[in-house]
Amino acid sequence: MHKTLTRREFLAIAAGATAATGLAPRIRNIVIEPFVRPPEELLPGQATWYASTCRQCPAGCGIIVRTIGGRAKKIEGNPLHPLNRGKLCARGQAGLQVLYNPDRLKNAVRQSGGRGSRRFEPLYWPDALDLLGDKIATISSAGRLAFFGGLMPSHTYRLAALLLEAIGAAPPILYDLQSALEGRSVASQLSRVFFGSPDLPVYDLSHSDVVFSFGANLLETWMSPVAQSFAYGAMRQGRRGSRGLLVQFEPRLSSTAASADEWIPVRPGSEGFVALAMGRIIVEERLGHVGSHRSQAVLYQNVDVREMSAASDLPVETLRRLARAFADADRAVAIPGGYLAGQRNGFSSMLAVQALNLVVAQVGRQGGVFLSNPEPAPGLKKIPPVNTFDEVMDLIRRMKAGEIDLLLIYGANPMYELPAAAGFADAIARVPFVVSFSSFIDETAVWADLILPDHTYLESWGYQVPSPGADRPVVSSQQPVVRPLYDTNPTGEVLLGLAARLGGKPAEALPWQDEASFLQETVVELLGSSLGAYDARTPAGFWALWRQHGGWWSEKPISREPELTDVAQKALPISDPLFEGDSQEYPLHLYPYSSITLTDGRGANLPWLQETPDPMTTVQWGMWVEINPNTASSLGIDDNDIVQVESPHGSLEAPAVIYAGIRPDTVAIPVGQGHHDYGRFAQAVTGSNPMALVAPVTDPDTGALSWGATRVRLKSTGRKQILARLESLDGKGRESLG
Amino acid sequence: MIRRLLLSFFILILGAVLLTRAKALAAPRQPIAYNHKTHVQAGIQCLFCHSSALRSDIAGVPSVQKCMGCHTLIATDKQAVQVLTGYWERDEPIPWVRVNWQPEFVYFSHQAHLLAGENCETCHGDVGRMTVTRPVLKMDMGWCLDCHVKQPENKVARLADCLTCHK
Repeated sequence: MHKTLTRREFLAIAAGATAATGLAPRIRNIVIEPFVRPPEELLPGQATWYASTCRQCPAGCGIIVRTIGGRAKKIEGNPLHPLNRGKLCARGQAGLQVLYNPDRLKNAVRQSGGRGSRRFEPLYWPDALDLLGDKIATISSAGRLAFFGGLMPSHTYRLAALLLEAIGAAPPILYDLQSALEGRSVASQLSRVFFGSPDLPVYDLSHSDVVFSFGANLLETWMSPVAQSFAYGAMRQGRRGSRGLLVQFEPRLSSTAASADEWIPVRPGSEGFVALAMGRIIVEERLGHVGSHRSQAVLYQNVDVREMSAASDLPVETLRRLARAFADADRAVAIPGGYLAGQRNGFSSMLAVQALNLVVAQVGRQGGVFLSNPEPAPGLKKIPPVNTFDEVMDLIRRMKAGEIDLLLIYGANPMYELPAAAGFADAIARVPFVVSFSSFIDETAVWADLILPDHTYLESWGYQVPSPGADRPVVSSQQPVVRPLYDTNPTGEVLLGLAARLGGKPAEALPWQDEASFLQETVVELLGSSLGAYDARTPAGFWALWRQHGGWWSEKPISREPELTDVAQKALPISDPLFEGDSQEYPLHLYPYSSITLTDGRGANLPWLQETPDPMTTVQWGMWVEINPNTASSLGIDDNDIVQVESPHGSLEAPAVIYAGIRPDTVAIPVGQGHHDYGRFAQAVTGSNPMALVAPVTDPDTGALSWGATRVRLKSTGRKQILARLESLDGKGRESLG
Repeated sequence: MIRRLLLSFFILILGAVLLTRAKALAAPRQPIAYNHKTHVQAGIQCLFCHSSALRSDIAGVPSVQKCMGCHTLIATDKQAVQVLTGYWERDEPIPWVRVNWQPEFVYFSHQAHLLAGENCETCHGDVGRMTVTRPVLKMDMGWCLDCHVKQPENKVARLADCLTCHK
């Protein structure tokens, strides 16, 4: 039987069904879980703020975290902290998603299907510690144990170093990509050569009238970006009647360059030549108000301004104009940045830039260069400068030769962060037993036998002496702002547990019951200091204030004036940049740069950061290749065309962004995407890791990775991938209809 | 045919309405058969357990530790107290089911109402006589406003403002 439904019937049924659905009995079952033991300071419904330290990058900014009912809700900058003064960057804000990340490891695991199988079985913590303790105890010689660290909390480093020393093994090797991109180890070596101390310099931007930044992305990711952005604001607007000038020298218009008064796209690797030529002009023409430059003439005795001008693509008139602007300023400062450190002549370039500060007598003078303050107490040790790439290559060589039986990895992801051509993948396969302390299953943890996940930083204890520091001695303190969400275990406690299991010397070297008691003992060294912004009468009182303030710092600014070594009495070296890849076959320079959101890739698993538009290209959830419009048109490449980028060491494909803010002979790729592991958000983005292209070459003066010294070529693939962008570039699509 | 269909829908709707009302004012099943009456008869004030009502937006459910403050010694032979002790020993929070409830878009503060001189009973009924706690009033917006517009004239404008509760 067939009956047609009339309109009226249809409406009646639809209305009835809607009403019936809407009126179904509501089932409300809202569970409210009270605390088992409430913290003393907690009032239900009222926010409690805890002060701690950000660990999203090496800067060590102070944070305060709003918690309600024992849950972390919001992270802000700590207004008392002298480094970031209440400010915080996007990466710091996104720290909540590290804590609440659904891809966190919730307990210790063993890889049951063999390394790389990605099949994990949970492991009871005491069993895991027994297993690792046995491995350490049965190792044939302590030299066959290696510890690879990245961004380590200072106290974890110290406990690890003490344990390794007690066993007789070498201290941790520290290396991470962000440190390489910002030139951390080179900056430390530069300080040692120039000022006789490995402590990093602090550039007093806020009092400067003219700032020449040579490849330092100081408003993005370089060194201490929040402190530098604050100082930049003060330089521009902080003083009545004077507005500081910023000139940025780098091959690509970064967000910092876009904020500068002038962007000078010098030829890659020739930044040092610009500095040398400017120095020579200042000395020769006796520019500025310093008086005699006679003593500095020796520095520039081999410099020919015309040669430098030709090598750097800058006319002599421009060099003269810049030199005059720099020398005539009351307070000028030149900053040797990360891009310089990534060249094979990096160290001589950085020497040349630092020498400019000497020529205008700005070393140890307001608006010039100072040194980071040393540790305020002997126990509160800074983590030592990161190791050079050469030292990492040496470890890789030993791993390949079968000289390492046990590898412990903390806070680093070398499988992702090292150039693929460095061969870490082959090397790790030769190590019989690998342990990772990562909170996430990243590219390196996949090759571990055992993963003993650390707490995330919002659940952890710790401290950090920021390096570079602030305008005064400062230590940032870290404390748990919430109870640990899962059955993870702080690595510091794991090390203490191992020491106790091993007994003998290790147990003597690490006698503390837990991390907090170790920290308490260390921190109270500051009790009674005459400098402090606060003091207490008892150790317990000091410990409470230390946690409440989020650290300890001097009440008044104390600047540390550097002492010059004999570097100023010798001619500055002039060395030509060298590049991997033939200039005919590979005509373009590769510039892999640190992303303002993902840093070196460690932020790729946080959706808030993935969806934050890149400030220059406004791309979200993606990676791309920046190409100059002239280069692109000569190769027939348009926006969103997928191009193949090929270097002598590898190749990748990515969509093109036609970008006028880059030299025609350079292509730039942001670092951070292209994860094969590291969780659903990192893996969901189509992208590649530019470290696949980078040649594993170093600057012979420093042993640092020359990540900017690789040449590439481009080829259009004929395919397209439309990038998600917040805005089109160059106002495309905004043309008037008339 | 159509008439019968409509009639059955009408009955369905009526049933749903009645069921919703009954359900809205029913006592939810709790993980522990907690008895308010016993506690109030023992002389315990509301604010002893719901201690943040005067100081915060939220009245608060007492922590397990607070319960154990007395029940380590008192009535340890009762089954409900043994269940409570179980939670304490396992270091687990008790998953209480909320009895009175406001949606997320409503800003409500216990503190403001208590400081204005309201008693707990005005909204929550005579909990001291309930063995199992249930809501006595349907706390909808009409009910809120009924009281808000009866306040002294100089306060009504503020108390009837949308943004007072929907901020």
